Amino acid sequence: MRRLPVYILIDTSGSMYGEPIEAVKNGLSIMLSTLTSDPYALETAYLSIISFNETAQQILPLTEITAVTVPNVEASGCTALGEALSLVSDCIEKEVEKGSNSAKGDWKPLIFIMTDGEPTDDINIGLPKFKSLKTGVVVACAAGNGANTGILKQITENVVSLSAADSESIKSFFKWVSASVSVSSVKVDNHGEISNNLDELPPPPDEINVVL
Amino acid sequence: MNIIKLNALDGTQIEFDKDSQAGCGAMKDVYFSPDKSYVVGFFRKPQDNNSRERLQTIVTNYKKMLFENEGGKNIESLFCWPTHIVEYNDGNKVKIGVVCPTYDKKFFFASGKFKGKEQEGKWFASAKLRNKFLESDVKGNWLNYLQVCIKIARAVKRLHAAGLAHSDLSYKNILINPLSGDACIIDIDGLVVPGKFPPDVVGTPDFIAPEVLETMELEKNDKNKKLPQRSTDQHALAVLIYMYLLYRHPLRGGMVCDPSDSDNDEKLLMGKEALFIEHPTNNKNRPLLSSLSKDELPQGNIDLLPYTLVGPYLKELFDRAFIKGLHNPRERPTADEWERALIKTVDLIQPCPNPKCEAKFFVFDNTKYPKCPFCGTSYEKTLPVLNFYYKPRSKGNFMNENIRLMVFEQQSLYKWHIDRNIFPNEKIKDCDRKPVGDFHFIKGKWWLVNRNIEKLVDVTTEPHVEILKKQKVELTEGRKLLFSNNGNLRLAIVQMANDKKRK
Repeated sequence: MRRLPVYILIDTSGSMYGEPIEAVKNGLSIMLSTLTSDPYALETAYLSIISFNETAQQILPLTEITAVTVPNVEASGCTALGEALSLVSDCIEKEVEKGSNSAKGDWKPLIFIMTDGEPTDDINIGLPKFKSLKTGVVVACAAGNGANTGILKQITENVVSLSAADSESIKSFFKWVSASVSVSSVKVDNHGEISNNLDELPPPPDEINVVL
Repeated sequence: MNIIKLNALDGTQIEFDKDSQAGCGAMKDVYFSPDKSYVVGFFRKPQDNNSRERLQTIVTNYKKMLFENEGGKNIESLFCWPTHIVEYNDGNKVKIGVVCPTYDKKFFFASGKFKGKEQEGKWFASAKLRNKFLESDVKGNWLNYLQVCIKIARAVKRLHAAGLAHSDLSYKNILINPLSGDACIIDIDGLVVPGKFPPDVVGTPDFIAPEVLETMELEKNDKNKKLPQRSTDQHALAVLIYMYLLYRHPLRGGMVCDPSDSDNDEKLLMGKEALFIEHPTNNKNRPLLSSLSKDELPQGNIDLLPYTLVGPYLKELFDRAFIKGLHNPRERPTADEWERALIKTVDLIQPCPNPKCEAKFFVFDNTKYPKCPFCGTSYEKTLPVLNFYYKPRSKGNFMNENIRLMVFEQQSLYKWHIDRNIFPNEKIKDCDRKPVGDFHFIKGKWWLVNRNIEKLVDVTTEPHVEILKKQKVELTEGRKLLFSNNGNLRLAIVQMANDKKRK
């Protein structure tokens, strides 16, 4: 059976210290408990978490969701988003099964990136390679007003923002991520093209604003 | 508690508790009423005029069309039908909400890891979920799934008879309770009325008809574009029934159409290139055992559990749905045909002699060495089979009806067995639901006891012998029993299957 790989990239820089990082931890555990009681996710979803501050680390390799324990994250330092993109590209190349004439490959990975500030490295360290990969929907979430949505737009057309990096907003983001991993009906006006845009996901809740 | 009071568009007062969220679906945010007897689900996206009018018609005209006909009362429990439409201004925007009764509590997990979660049909249709996550006391037996499928087929039949199409049938939109054999269709906001309300969605992956996927690129007004309609519901229904009886997808086999792109591969496998995994002459899509995980077995093994185990009536319909009709929508069986075939299959069921068998029941296939296909336990006893015949005209011969009853210990005989004008669907009268006879195996012999058969005559040899109420007749090879009910005649000729003496 095809696996559905889900990569979550989380900014753990110093500006996330305090309420935001606690909200992220809470959000991750809510997400995990939602996914482990969702029949679609239980059947197919695999989760990986990458955190980035001074450097980027894959703190959870791609793991079947029932075997996941949420790793601890601490906030400090700067925001190596470029390096995170480079790392996730390597992980996808290594972990996501490609199809062959005799065996089915995995589904294209879903990627969610959450950051609250400006990247402190050059995102072009990782961007070209990231763009060259076959991925499913990529969503970048700007948590609070400090994030640079212009830079996120270079990564993906799907940028959403939370008006504040507070626990309610971050929680609703992770709930939306969970719902996105489950299956939903395909709309008629999807012309059969795999658009990889937000229309393929459930409509986001009120706390999440789509950045146009 | 944060109770909001609203007037529905029809004037009814509706209340919901903004602090009591019942759920957060993909499209709607759902809140309980203060007494939790109903819920209000608000669409997150604005609804256009077409959708509003559709919703309004669903809660008025269509509701009447569906439930105010013969047998309508008996199908109410098969749907969670919306009752009212509300508008609510939450300060930012006006939202449209649908009011629905709260799901019956039998459609929630009562215990275990998933306690309180809705029993979405998906849980019970996937081999991996059944083998790895579900506890054995919620799974029910194989006969229960025939009953679940009967309910689903019946619900779809009634929708279609009312001129509607569901357009998004899937195990996500159906709650089931295998233990009681119940099913309930939910999320009915998207009903399609040909020519009036076109569909918003093409369906849910796994259930979208091949022709719809194949023509998805075409523009909306292109007349070659195939959209959800009754015939695509018929495809989805066939897939659902196959999955509930066999726990695998009929089109998901070993074939790879596009190794370089999983989305495109999927679109071809389910669309243009779709091929039944158990196609009798084309084995391109047969599942490769080596590529199945242990969680998908044994259900994924089509050699061990071929679809023929469902018995002759359903096999024929699967052939029409997945061989002849897969790319030819007109050939697909109707929901009514599915309901009839499922009901007839219930009469072919035998309890498995192995007390540890998970399926507990199987379709007796009348071969030389009958065994339960699920656990392999062989069936040792002789087994009476009643083959039914009817008389098309008052004069003339009895004709075979291709209906039979496989008898088992303490089984009941019902009116629909002895009178072909009675059929156990939603239109059956209460007085016709009671058993009229029962079968027993005593000291090596099989007997039928007449409990309430109007007239039962043994016509095997002259002179004919009437079997009065409370009397019994032995079932032996070639025994001919003539039943009459309200002047309707039915003949049963007994065949003793699995008779070791004759083998």
